Amino acid sequence: MTAPRVGFALGPVLCVVAGLACSGCVQTTVQGVRQAETQIDHGESIVILSRKHKTQGETEDDFVTCVSDSVNTGSRALPILSESEFVDAMFPWFEPRTAPLNMDDLATVIGRPIISRRIDEIGVRYLVWIEGTTERSDESGSLNCTFFSGGIPACFGFLSWESGSNYEASVWDVERGMSVGTLSSEAAGTSFVPAVIVPIPVIARVREKACANMSDQIKTFINPDLPSVSPAAS
Amino acid sequence: MVENRRQAAAVVLRTASRALALVVALGTVFLGGCKGGASITVDTTVPRPLVDPIPAAMGVYIDETLKTYVHEEELPEYGDYRIDIGASQTPVFARVFDAMFEDVVYVQRAEDPADSRSDQTVAPDADDEEGEDEPDTPIRFIGNDGSSLAVDGIIAPSIEVVQFAIPDQTGGDFYEVWIRYKLTLFDAGGNALGEWPLRGYGKANERNFGQLGKQTPALHEATTWALRDAAAVLAVQFRDQAEVQDWLATIGAGENDEGAPQ
Repeated sequence: MTAPRVGFALGPVLCVVAGLACSGCVQTTVQGVRQAETQIDHGESIVILSRKHKTQGETEDDFVTCVSDSVNTGSRALPILSESEFVDAMFPWFEPRTAPLNMDDLATVIGRPIISRRIDEIGVRYLVWIEGTTERSDESGSLNCTFFSGGIPACFGFLSWESGSNYEASVWDVERGMSVGTLSSEAAGTSFVPAVIVPIPVIARVREKACANMSDQIKTFINPDLPSVSPAAS
Repeated sequence: MVENRRQAAAVVLRTASRALALVVALGTVFLGGCKGGASITVDTTVPRPLVDPIPAAMGVYIDETLKTYVHEEELPEYGDYRIDIGASQTPVFARVFDAMFEDVVYVQRAEDPADSRSDQTVAPDADDEEGEDEPDTPIRFIGNDGSSLAVDGIIAPSIEVVQFAIPDQTGGDFYEVWIRYKLTLFDAGGNALGEWPLRGYGKANERNFGQLGKQTPALHEATTWALRDAAAVLAVQFRDQAEVQDWLATIGAGENDEGAPQ
């Protein structure tokens, strides 16, 4: 007798779940330090790269992809050369163990005629080195699921956790062989999953916010003459 | 009433059996995932290195042991692992050496009637104790078509050790692979001039892969990076080796710094 009622109620509940699943609160902070003027000319592009020489705390691939895609699309989009295309074109000089870690190293690398010629060919003007990660912490609570009679699953409990994204980008001007600035994007939020029969995930999408903010910063930083848009926040 | 009770009991029994089946199925998936193990075959190459070629004709000797190299290891509690990297050796080294030297010739060892084990399955300096070539005995190399060689030197890579680690072992985020090669340089007459290690390291962040079935692609990526790293270091640091500098001076190829940033 109860099964049809529960089934009838699931439709609206699932709609609510879908709506709530993306509405976790996220606090964001962005900062930027400019060391030199920047501009990007026709035929020039930028590359978003992650540092891969450390054995811990490596930036997630999908964050770099997200920033690259976001910088390359939407208003004020900038021309992007993908990380893989760049490191393949520059092989073996931008591999995890051989990539320049500072401006002196970069000057040494691009000082080689064969490398500077390749950079001219592919048209890269700025390298944006991204470091940082998203970490999950302070997990608490529990969630238990079982089956009611009639095979209907049900969950009870409460789960919560904190997520924090902390990313920094260093922008290098390849043409001038100098660092032109650093940008940072932080985001933090609490996600929770209350469950009374149906679990309702309320996820704080901190990495997506950090990506959106970092992308906007890069666009504004590289091409400040274009109208700016305030960073995404919620 | 009795009929209704029987039907209700049947429904409860069916539901319970379905739930049990689901639990068993999920348990199988997750417990199977825990045991893990992986078997990968890496057949890859690397981009052509961006280096100035050394003005020399180089013979390259890649033996069958290297071409068919497979690392197998059982990790207690974590399963059996098999990493087949043999198919990648020729493409990777060919791409690197073709860029590093103006002229490259692929060579083989000439059959030596006095030594029945002198075939292509034995590396010039394999670590096995028995029958190892005398250090001062020149090795006779010939072209792959059997022709005599006109080269300035010969280089022979071989694998000494392959190791790997998974996050469950290290507590870290990475699948890691280490490949230690040995490079042996010979002069045109087949006399060994020196040998040095070449280490390749690759890692794959487990966060970049889904929760289920990530071992195989993650280990594959880590191995690919290890091969790529070895190739990169070879291309960048080859001229830094003392043996290579002496050889370059001998053949009149001179010095041309290609050192990587430190």
